[in-house]
Amino acid sequence: MNSAVPAASDWRARSANQTRLAFGQALLEIGAREPRAVVVSADTQDLLGIRTFIERHRERFIEVGIAEQNAIGAAAGLATTGLHPYVCAYAPFITARSMEQVRNDVAYANQRVVIGAAASGISLGVAGGTHHALEDLALMRSLPNMTVIVPADVDEAYKATLATLDIDGPVYLRLGGRTEEPSVSDPEAPFRLGRAVQLRPGNDVAVIACGALVEMALRASDALKREGIDARVLNMHTIKPFDRDAVLAAAAETRGIVTAEEHHLTGGLGGAVAELLAVERPTRMRMVGMPDTFAMVGPTGPLRAKYGMSAEAIMDACRALLR
Amino acid sequence: MHETRETLLVRLESEARRIRRNVWRALRAGGGGHAGGSCSAADILAALYFHRLRIRPSEPDWPERDRFVLSKGHANAALGAVLAQAGFIDDEVLDRFYAFESPFGMHPDIKVPGVEMCTGALGHGLAVAMGMALGARIQKQDFHTFVMLGDGELHEGSNWEAAMAAAHYRLANLTAIVDFNKISQSGRVAEIVGIDPLPDKWRAFGWEVREIDGHDMAQVVDALDSLPLDPDRPTAILAHTVKGKGVSFAENTYVWHSNSVNDEVYARALGELAEPHEREAP
Repeated sequence: MNSAVPAASDWRARSANQTRLAFGQALLEIGAREPRAVVVSADTQDLLGIRTFIERHRERFIEVGIAEQNAIGAAAGLATTGLHPYVCAYAPFITARSMEQVRNDVAYANQRVVIGAAASGISLGVAGGTHHALEDLALMRSLPNMTVIVPADVDEAYKATLATLDIDGPVYLRLGGRTEEPSVSDPEAPFRLGRAVQLRPGNDVAVIACGALVEMALRASDALKREGIDARVLNMHTIKPFDRDAVLAAAAETRGIVTAEEHHLTGGLGGAVAELLAVERPTRMRMVGMPDTFAMVGPTGPLRAKYGMSAEAIMDACRALLR
Repeated sequence: MHETRETLLVRLESEARRIRRNVWRALRAGGGGHAGGSCSAADILAALYFHRLRIRPSEPDWPERDRFVLSKGHANAALGAVLAQAGFIDDEVLDRFYAFESPFGMHPDIKVPGVEMCTGALGHGLAVAMGMALGARIQKQDFHTFVMLGDGELHEGSNWEAAMAAAHYRLANLTAIVDFNKISQSGRVAEIVGIDPLPDKWRAFGWEVREIDGHDMAQVVDALDSLPLDPDRPTAILAHTVKGKGVSFAENTYVWHSNSVNDEVYARALGELAEPHEREAP
């Protein structure tokens, strides 16, 4: 499942540190490499940055309009004919509104459909609660057959999108909104589906993070180092299939685990870690993420801080485990 | 030997009666089920599978096959019957309706040879079929995609998303057949939430419409042989049918949308579904 990093490309500049745009850039390479690839849009051409794909492959582009249920149903139908559909959509709508189509037409029927879900979490903070997706990981990872990926930066988003060329089944790719994510992954490293990436060593405590919270986990780890605390950081870019070994090793080798995600504390990455550890190796845990409330309106950065998704919150959680 | 139109219709009518007998057989094996919507669809299914569809039962995944999606998946007893009669699945499967680990449950499963999509949650099939028709166009294949919808199912808004897009893409390779039996689970569709004027709705969404008697085999065959009705539009065949058709006590009543079937009920149903030459003289 390794995907080589393309040489000499300007896709990174065009992605502008936004994972949603890296997805659209990767589709250009997929379009060139895979003649069976088709793109389905639910009036999301700019959201996922696919206008160049449309120019190059008009015959392999389908716009269904503001109709998420139809986008998923049509993608499933396309997949049955041997094509490889990539659905471009808003995370809040494509998961919650068309959940039944995703469950039945895609996951139950086990069709090769990739959902590029932009505007996840509170990345469209100013849009308000109607446009936040804080339950999508819980929904998607509960579906059999589904692969769930949460890229942390544009390199990972680009490589993860290319990795779908080798996934013969449904995929949910969780992407950001108009938020810029600093680079945290090694641009030269291959994307290995289902394998967590250790970004910092450490045996005092382990922080398991995904998406935008990976960068915060790194800052937290670096700051804790100055306090004499060695905090391991794992980038859990694949939520399903889940890297059980990395979690169990972290539990065995440290004094506790902190999870960090831009998602409700129920059912996401923290839930996945807790489910595993509760059964296999009960371990002290702290969970950083969105509490059980709908977010207020505001820019994403301050909203993340307000609801406890910050490097400081991760540091506090680590310290609490070591007390 | 050349088949005349008359012998074609006689053959298809016989297959339709056989579908109905197999429906009741499966329902008895399972203890009950959706007799009404299975029997209203039987004549159309016979005409599709034994006349119109380009299919290879021994090669169910043949890429050039015509597609049929049973969106009203609760009529799976009828789909199973026609798939067995056509040779996609073994006849004995019909005796394992609802059975533990049977491939033949209440609703269609794509893992069964000849089944194109997991359906039965209503309002899914038209979008999926539209995707299949788009897939044919993109890959320059000439197969035709059919989807059968229930009239009650048309309450689901997702149908109209797909109807709008299919017309936008001028999918003349797509035909929706509405099994217009006027009755859903709780009663008459018109009294639950009215869907009239149905032909006008489909036309307004950009479809070419033909209304037929879904139990008049000549009309069914004529409609299927006339596709596409318009080279630039998808076709909606609104087939007026009778829920539970063929068995007097099951006809035209929501009670038989889904109901229990025991040996006695089965015997009474079969008595009304015999082939003409098998019937006792009055």
